[in-house]
Amino acid sequence: MKTKLFAAAVAAAAAFAGSAFAQDKPVVKLGYQLPLTGNTAQYGQDFRTAAEIALARFNSAGKPFKVEIVFEDSRSDAKEGVAIARKFVDDKAIVGVLGDFTSGVSMASAQVYKEAGMPQLSQTASHPDYAKISPWQFRNITTQAQEGPYNADWMKARGYKKVAIIAEQTDWGQTVVSNFADEFKKAGGQVVFSEFFNRGLADFRPLIAKIAREKPDAIYTGFFYEDAAQFLKQMKQLGVTIPVHSTSAAYNQQLIQLAGADAEGMHLTATFLPSNPDPKVQDFVTAWKAKSNGVDPGQFPAQAFDAVNIMLAAVERASPNPTREKVRDELAKTKAFPGVTGETTFGPDREPAKKLAKTVVRNGQFVAVEN
Amino acid sequence: MSDRFRARLIAIGFLALVFVAAPAALTAFGKSYYWQVADLALIFALLAGSMHLVTGVAGLLQLGHAAFYGVGAYAAALLATKAGLSLAFTLPLAGLSAATIAVLVALPTMRLVSIYFAVATLAIGQMLYLIMLNWVEVTKGPNGIMLFSGMKFAGLDLSRPLPTYLVVAATVCVSLFVLHRLSHSYYGNALRALREDDQCADAMGVDTVRLKIEAFGVSGFFAGVAGALWAHTAGFISPPDFSFQTSILILAMVVVGGLGSLPGAVLGAFILILLPEALRPFGDFRNIAVGVVLFASILFVPKGLIGEVSALDFARRQLAGAWRRDGAGAEIGWR
Repeated sequence: MKTKLFAAAVAAAAAFAGSAFAQDKPVVKLGYQLPLTGNTAQYGQDFRTAAEIALARFNSAGKPFKVEIVFEDSRSDAKEGVAIARKFVDDKAIVGVLGDFTSGVSMASAQVYKEAGMPQLSQTASHPDYAKISPWQFRNITTQAQEGPYNADWMKARGYKKVAIIAEQTDWGQTVVSNFADEFKKAGGQVVFSEFFNRGLADFRPLIAKIAREKPDAIYTGFFYEDAAQFLKQMKQLGVTIPVHSTSAAYNQQLIQLAGADAEGMHLTATFLPSNPDPKVQDFVTAWKAKSNGVDPGQFPAQAFDAVNIMLAAVERASPNPTREKVRDELAKTKAFPGVTGETTFGPDREPAKKLAKTVVRNGQFVAVEN
Repeated sequence: MSDRFRARLIAIGFLALVFVAAPAALTAFGKSYYWQVADLALIFALLAGSMHLVTGVAGLLQLGHAAFYGVGAYAAALLATKAGLSLAFTLPLAGLSAATIAVLVALPTMRLVSIYFAVATLAIGQMLYLIMLNWVEVTKGPNGIMLFSGMKFAGLDLSRPLPTYLVVAATVCVSLFVLHRLSHSYYGNALRALREDDQCADAMGVDTVRLKIEAFGVSGFFAGVAGALWAHTAGFISPPDFSFQTSILILAMVVVGGLGSLPGAVLGAFILILLPEALRPFGDFRNIAVGVVLFASILFVPKGLIGEVSALDFARRQLAGAWRRDGAGAEIGWR
């Protein structure tokens, strides 16, 4: 017992000495609220891994100060998210916050950040009203206000004149349809069919039959990869061969695993491709694979990686002695930030303008295309 | 007389704790995080207290309580954003909306007993949840509702931590007092008779169906009030706040504290809100730790931390709800 106690004391002393050495440089703290347990834990765990990669690089780059990230588990539960937000706000050393994962928790926490004046950058909150809450909210995920017109122009350029649109019955789905249709009509195209379906629909065949009857040149779709796989498989079963375009929401390796050969030829936008030869991307992919058993990173961890780097860059510009106000102002100035999900620029509305990539599924892989 | 005196002393002590000692301590800490957790613990104390009436006292296993909490929160949020009403109106109206819905859904389920009733409440909870999620025109569906107005009352801005806490604490204390009077009285005894043997109670002249519906309505009312408090303190609500998990959390509070015991329900709420927050430093293990605490409490104190018998004893003897005595000093019934 005595030796154990002694060992513990030595360990504590060593830890104390270690932390004392680390204190040589001034420490800047960031908060990251994310679901580390619960139903959405897989996303939060990925975010933490991505954030740790970004942070380790930043701290080993010989900066005049050191950054610490405080991770707090929100369980994707608004009441925990709000409590965490208060906790972060209380800690005077924290100058910026990342997260949360879902729009709901991000927005409940945003009420606290708005009132206390704390910059908040979410990697994934896609709610149309999120960034409108106050000048303190930022996000680095594209919204349909940017993606819809981009896809409309792309499809017009590919020579499609008559297009059918389907999307899931959510507010996100509503924005998919409206943003695309407005631009496509403006460009002289024609929307011959437009309908919503409930997420997780098992049988798309009646919908596909209705679309086929309208004989569109192409179909534009707003769904996530699970629904996308069902839709593509059932289209093949019915022998319908109309080209399909989709948003970056369907961009997921799981789509190809689930739909197999039926996913071939689907066109979609993406902001992150693990196969992108850009050294930044390859660097991140290698670091990620080393930490997660050789699995390719998806779009969400890449979003988190960029969000952390954007925040770190803002902190660095706001140094020395960064404050919440300074970090917010520097975040707002983010321009053409070179990340793994492309270049990010925050507009005056604190929404990101991103360079979108055009991709197609070819031989079981997402491949970048010119048109 | 001395009974009365002691009861006053306890009441004053309790109020001093909630309205003087707790705010003083929270102010001294100067952390808005503690205020937030205190508000949350109080809101869930009210939720657990309201479920206690139906599940603990009347013995109707309720698996959809969070839905009434949600109805109250949505009613308050919609009244505040669409009609611009202040807290003074949204609180009671949210309670009334939730009570109305509770009575409406209680009517067809009153002939169901035990597990069948529980499953029916589960279904009702899910239905109300799906309505919040899918009735996009009214509830804005998954996008939730933002209350820009926050905590306002008669032109006063109550959004600072102290005023918010006082509003929440006052509302919860008044509500809990009403629940206390309902469960520790002849009325509460009638509900308990219903729980023990509803046919016998019926034979004794107790209108069991009416009692059940009333208990359901009152319970829904206070759940709705708690919902309004959550909506105003959080400033943003969305359907996941009122999902099945929340119902189970409230049920766990009531069971851990002691089925049929109001102080137990309040204590259970405090533990299940404060413990996960206190265990934050343990990171990923905190949920396991909370689970172990729950399991141990069911294993070692199956009647709850403050069991029904001791709660009733406390209410009777300490709160001067003691049996009234006749001239000869024999106890004859509730005061």
